[in-house]
Amino acid sequence: MTSIATQQINYLNVKKGIWSWLFTLDHKRIGLMYLYAIGAFFLVGVTLGIFMRLELFNPGRDIMEAKTYNQVFTLHGVIMIFLFIIPSIPAVFGNFFLPIMLGTDDVSLPRLNLMSWWLYIIGALFALSTLVFGGGPADTGWTFYAPYSVKTGTNVSMSVMAAFVLGFSSILTGLNFIVTIHRLRTPGMTFNKMPLFAWGLYATSWIQVLATPVIGITLLMIVVERVFGIGLFDPSMGGDPILYQHLFWIYSHPAVYIMALPAMGVVSEIIPTFSQRTIFGYKPIAYSSMAIAFVGYFVWGHHMFTSGMSGSAAIIFSILTFLVAIPTAIKVFNWLATLYKGSIDIKVPLLFALAFIFNFLIGGLTGLVVGALAVDVHVHDTYFVVGHFHYVMFGGAGFAFFGALHYWFPKMWGKMYNMTRAYVAFGFLFIGFNILYFPMLILGIMGMPRRYYDYLPQFHTLNQISTIGSWILVVGLLLMIYNLIAGYRKGPKATGNPWNGMTLEWQTDSPPPLHNFDKMPELPEGGPYNYPNAKSQ
Amino acid sequence: MNHHFTLPNSGHHYDAKASKMGMWLFLYTELLLFGGLFLVYMVYRSLNQDAFLLASFNLNVWIGTANTVVLLTSSMTVAMSISALQKGDSKKSILLLWLTILAALIFLVVKYFEWSAKFEHGLFPGMDHFNQLPNGEKLYFNLYFFMTGLHGLHVIVGGIFIMVVVAKIKSGKVNKSRYQLLENSGLYWHLVDLIWIYLFPLFYLIH
Amino acid sequence: MKNQHSTEETHAEHITSYREHFGTWVGLILLTLMTVFISVFGADLRTITVATALFIASVKALVVAYYFMHLKYDPRIYRVLMTIVMSLFTSFLIMVILDYLTR
Repeated sequence: MTSIATQQINYLNVKKGIWSWLFTLDHKRIGLMYLYAIGAFFLVGVTLGIFMRLELFNPGRDIMEAKTYNQVFTLHGVIMIFLFIIPSIPAVFGNFFLPIMLGTDDVSLPRLNLMSWWLYIIGALFALSTLVFGGGPADTGWTFYAPYSVKTGTNVSMSVMAAFVLGFSSILTGLNFIVTIHRLRTPGMTFNKMPLFAWGLYATSWIQVLATPVIGITLLMIVVERVFGIGLFDPSMGGDPILYQHLFWIYSHPAVYIMALPAMGVVSEIIPTFSQRTIFGYKPIAYSSMAIAFVGYFVWGHHMFTSGMSGSAAIIFSILTFLVAIPTAIKVFNWLATLYKGSIDIKVPLLFALAFIFNFLIGGLTGLVVGALAVDVHVHDTYFVVGHFHYVMFGGAGFAFFGALHYWFPKMWGKMYNMTRAYVAFGFLFIGFNILYFPMLILGIMGMPRRYYDYLPQFHTLNQISTIGSWILVVGLLLMIYNLIAGYRKGPKATGNPWNGMTLEWQTDSPPPLHNFDKMPELPEGGPYNYPNAKSQ
Repeated sequence: MNHHFTLPNSGHHYDAKASKMGMWLFLYTELLLFGGLFLVYMVYRSLNQDAFLLASFNLNVWIGTANTVVLLTSSMTVAMSISALQKGDSKKSILLLWLTILAALIFLVVKYFEWSAKFEHGLFPGMDHFNQLPNGEKLYFNLYFFMTGLHGLHVIVGGIFIMVVVAKIKSGKVNKSRYQLLENSGLYWHLVDLIWIYLFPLFYLIH
Repeated sequence: MKNQHSTEETHAEHITSYREHFGTWVGLILLTLMTVFISVFGADLRTITVATALFIASVKALVVAYYFMHLKYDPRIYRVLMTIVMSLFTSFLIMVILDYLTR
């Protein structure tokens, strides 16, 4: 059936009008709605970050008061963590591609999926409403430590309720993916024939389901103390603020693996495609995702080394923290081995994947530094930590998100973006990112504390360099966004498989039809990355 | 004209196993939610053993026991209602569900009287008697109100869930060959019972 | 095959009899009475009372899970997952209390 005058029917044009989007049950549309919402809030978070860097350009007061600065970095953290990084890859690309990669036509629980999105929107509105209501945005840091979070007059309750609602959204997404992976794989696709992105999402989903409730109840404790005076962390009632920290980090450490594991899953998809070789070490990569998820539950105390926790507990947490580096390293070695002697095609998705490896390496190694007890006494709460986590969360997960965007763009919209502009944008992003954050590692070792809007004169130059880095980064972001939008509107039509990928999403049209497949997808013999060097599995 | 090709593993068919799996996953989240509170309880009780014992004398063991019996009975009735529907007896199933809801109401009424008594004695945070308590006892009552309050909220939600299922059995949407929703409501109800099974000894049976 | 479209078979179609449910209820009531009596009339051995109370509560919980919640007759994976979840929670508990004990 050829259509000359009429456009082919796909998930984008099958039904029109805003209500057909806001109340859709189609996982692809839900993925796109997440993308637009997450993208918008990401830009708000970036803006807050730019303002922070402007304030830090010179010592002393530049553009805002100290208290405002506290609110800015708090909101920056809340938005970036709860509204951007944690949902990003699972909610956008997991929703869009997990069912297609498994060879099915939707998730197991589509209405729950829509509810996840609405909860996300409600949580986001709660968070942003603090800009307008009740005492202003929280000024506690995104960690909401007691007792200050209970005492401060800023709108902590609303911020914390936002995080609670967003957590619920995250739980439901993870729940849906676990059921989908168990119930809807195409006939013949065993767990060990699933794409590695699916494995990454599977491990992530278990963390979402089992860890998020703990922060839910902890945040509820803060609200209940603020509203009813039911104090559990108030020393004047016999409570212990360190107990809050335990409960908070029992979730928030596994949370960083919610950020990292899907990102690693994306890298595991991009690398085979752009080396045109099957992945080296499929099982180690798959199982290391589960291992990272597992070990990650038991290391939270490394956020509390200087808090007053017992020395013996600190030692145990430090040892466990070092262990989690092992499965991560396994992945890096396997990725490199896949590239070796491959037919490398340096397209932009691959650049983002390589940047992930580079940035995550620096972030991971600096993580070992802070994980060492004696060193941490010196660098805790300094800019070293800020540099460390931005390298893993932004340079790692963030860049993987951009990489996924560039990799799956043609499939999602059936168009291609301008390659040259994409390369230039990547260059600005990578260079700007490193100029922005590498100085922080040095500043931290020199002793500059974090969450301060002022600093000593000896830190001036590096702060200026860092701020200039943020401007270069923003140029890259704007160019990338412009390029992708231009590609969507005016770009050339993309084929079904522009990169010669082997996973099932490349067997269907670009954009996919409403029910994902118009004919039965073919499961290849040699596993999900069925390139010529793949052996039959 | 393209007829719509359906995958054998389509996600659009009714899948009772998926629904059951989803419900269990949700129960795990509830267990960890309450788990956080139990963790706080364990820490503070181990640090304030005498105070917790003293504070617990403000609660009436027999009222607590009665409420425990009420909830255990309600677990039996909801479990039986599933058996009834599996056997095709929707009338009996609905009757047993109403008995479950009745038990839930009794539980809530008893709780209401217990809490009112505490308020009358000024034992809620911020009230006079509470403010004069030593720290350990304050922590006991903070935990008491928070944990039984959150539990009570779940009793209400569970009761509503069951009422929705009653309506759906009446309309035939939930029936002998399509009853996963009933089973899920039962699972949720048993969770509510499970939490109380631990709350009871921890608050009422310290001695 | 895992990936069937909707069928009548949901569980192995095991229907628990009313009798079995009633028996479970009797057991739970007896355990409840036991734990109350130990507490009210039992010796003043504080730690043992805590341990006993938690132990009996756990037995009751297992009974509710296995019989009322059907875990005994469900696919094994559900019992495995329940064990994993409870172990995870217990590890959190132990690691936190260890902090307090060693300060």
